[in-house]
Amino acid sequence: MAITFTLNGKAQTVDVSPDMPLLWVLRDTLNMTGTKFGCGMALCGACTVHMNGEATRSCITPISSVSGKRITTIEGLSADGSHPVQKAWIEEDVPQCGYCQSGQIMSAVALLRKKPKPTDADIDDAMSGNICRCGTYQRIRKAIHRAAGSPAQKA
Amino acid sequence: MRTNLPMIVAEELSCDWNKVNVVQADLDAKYGEQLTGGSLSTRTSYTDLRKAGAAAREMLVSAAAGAWQVERTACRAENSAVSHAPTKRALTYGQLAERASAILPPADPPLKNPADFKLIGKPTRRTDTPQKVNGSATFGLDVRVPGMLFASVERSPVYGGVPRSFNADEVKSAAPVRAVLELKSAHLTHQFGETSGPGSRNYSCAGVAVVADSTWAAFEARKRLKVEWNEPAAASETTASLREQMHRFASAPGAVIRSDGDFERAHAAADKRIEAVYEVPFLAHATMEPVNCTAHVRGDSCELWAPTQIPGAARASVASALGIPRENVKVHVTLIGGGFGRRLIQDYAVEAALISRDAGAPVQVVWSREDDIRHDFYRPAACHILEAGLDSRGQLISWRHRGSSPSIETFYSGTGISPSAAAQVDSLDFPALFVPHFRLEFTVAESGMPLGYWRSVDSSGNQFALSSFFDEAAHAAGRDPLEFLLAAFGPARRISLRNNETFDVGRRRAVVELAAEKSGWHKALARGGGRGIAASFGWGSYVAHVAEITCQAKTGAIRIDRVVCAVDCGTAINPLGVKAQMEGAINFGLAATLKSAITVERGRIQQSNFHDYEVLRMSEAPPVVEVYIVPSTEPPGGCGEAGVPSVAPAVGNAIFAATGKRVRRLPIRPADLA
Repeated sequence: MAITFTLNGKAQTVDVSPDMPLLWVLRDTLNMTGTKFGCGMALCGACTVHMNGEATRSCITPISSVSGKRITTIEGLSADGSHPVQKAWIEEDVPQCGYCQSGQIMSAVALLRKKPKPTDADIDDAMSGNICRCGTYQRIRKAIHRAAGSPAQKA
Repeated sequence: MRTNLPMIVAEELSCDWNKVNVVQADLDAKYGEQLTGGSLSTRTSYTDLRKAGAAAREMLVSAAAGAWQVERTACRAENSAVSHAPTKRALTYGQLAERASAILPPADPPLKNPADFKLIGKPTRRTDTPQKVNGSATFGLDVRVPGMLFASVERSPVYGGVPRSFNADEVKSAAPVRAVLELKSAHLTHQFGETSGPGSRNYSCAGVAVVADSTWAAFEARKRLKVEWNEPAAASETTASLREQMHRFASAPGAVIRSDGDFERAHAAADKRIEAVYEVPFLAHATMEPVNCTAHVRGDSCELWAPTQIPGAARASVASALGIPRENVKVHVTLIGGGFGRRLIQDYAVEAALISRDAGAPVQVVWSREDDIRHDFYRPAACHILEAGLDSRGQLISWRHRGSSPSIETFYSGTGISPSAAAQVDSLDFPALFVPHFRLEFTVAESGMPLGYWRSVDSSGNQFALSSFFDEAAHAAGRDPLEFLLAAFGPARRISLRNNETFDVGRRRAVVELAAEKSGWHKALARGGGRGIAASFGWGSYVAHVAEITCQAKTGAIRIDRVVCAVDCGTAINPLGVKAQMEGAINFGLAATLKSAITVERGRIQQSNFHDYEVLRMSEAPPVVEVYIVPSTEPPGGCGEAGVPSVAPAVGNAIFAATGKRVRRLPIRPADLA
């Protein structure tokens, strides 16, 4: 079945089973491997993309529900790594293994769109769905504050 | 490693760091083991990499001196160029490289004086961050080769089982499925390369592989697979049965690993005696990138794209499984989405190779999260029974540790190894050096579960028991835990350990004192708050943690407010990297302290995904984490694992300080404290 949506600003049509999750359409059909597979059950956040601007777990989003929507992936945040969140991640030396970071960044961008100056509690709420086993949470928090242009807040 | 190892070379080579580009090498004998594990990379490479950088620098200087017909001594290498001040000439390394490559490398080039270091010791950001924030970094799961297929494997629910029958034809009938293949179990090499002796149990899982055009098609098709399994011996094992066995073993004399003085006599004469039982569960690695590997078998050769911590072992295991010469296995090392010791085991490489051979195409075997949690090689569960005696002055005079757990070394090396080698204990045997009458005994427990090295290995669970019980002794003596710890250490001195490592008591004291000082040890905390301290030693590094927690009296809910870490890792090549490892280790250690446990029923792992194998999340990560690095010019120690062991006991000790309740089992459950 042919499904059309906007992907990183460009029209995209795929002909796949309607229940195929967006994650696998991105990774296997379109060869865009920046969005990661971590759990398949929306428990870890590695697969986070934006659907009409909202943070969405692509592993449980059937492609049929993507029809006509605007999808942004990590590859679409900027052409050259210049998105303020990407720059903040580099300034704060956030990633270790890096596998969870596509999802972390996409969740952070969505948060900052809703709350340009998030509190630590806002960060907890928005980011607790994104797991990092290397334990970069404190740096993620600092980078979000940095991208928001506010100094890191003490607990 | 992709930052601090290049820093070492670039330092001696006198490079402009901004012009350095780091490229991952394939497995190649000329590079040596290429192992990333055991916290060994910096420690074992430091001198060799310095020599390599220095040798290349000398060759470039010789090339410039030759080109200009001037004295070598008047030439200076700096910022990726060689200059000759008297004649104001300069040539870049790029311009000199070809000429330099014809010069014989000096065998013993002069190394820089550490006082002149420009890179080593300077906080340096990671070289690979840009690709990790724009989606371009290629992890194992991201490998794409032309014509590749994807495989999802149904593995025996009990380790060691084999399929009796399966409905291959029914599953194969759907279009995107290319093959349904039996996957045979293969004996792996020891993860550090040695041959696995008789009685070793390190095998890849047997199963049934569904091979399809895409990952999702393989996952979906596998849902239609119906497999009948045999019931291997391990099917009788449960968490309860293993727990009972370990408790029984630890309650009786075991193999004596160490005996100082006369424990029995001293303990009987002690003024005060305490005893406790400590337990820790199996733990999964749960790396964010599930286990995977890509292989292309062509005739008697195999090409691997492996997220592996030890490419040499991948080659050896695959060569053995396929029955081909090792030279015919080419290994490309991809980025790994989390190792923690899981990727030291080569089962995924063997699986990909066997399936590729039988499918006649390049194949990427993709483990689901459920596969990853259920078919891990686990950090063993353990039971520790500890007894200590204090004299009338509140000094520790006797200590006996009886431990029991399944043995990782036996799993990989076989049953022929010595009881000492099999024992799940570290080299320090804390507090052996600080108690006159000390006894350490260990009894290996029988388990059918697969076992593996998990970040900080034996220390990951042992240190919780040892440093918590030590804290119990302090409180039994009515003494401040910090004062008790420092008094037990005694004066600064160096001691030889039984594995020939040197333990420096002065460095140990210094990290404990630094952590205590920075945490404000003697300052009062708010109501419901408590502070705990613990220290550990390993991989050449000294670490201490102070944890500050708050406990909600009604619910028993714990909040980790602050963790202070002091680390002496010798020469810190990249302080930013050391900080990152210590911060990460705190969060990693807290997951094991507060959240994670693997349990077994009928030989089957009960957990499957992050809803029942819980790990630490952002809202639970301490808001304040401080890392203090002790300045040092000693040889570099390892940092990958050293930051984990003392986290759990620091938290347990803080909980006791806050509530008067002693935690003796991990993970800590609020119900235990309410």
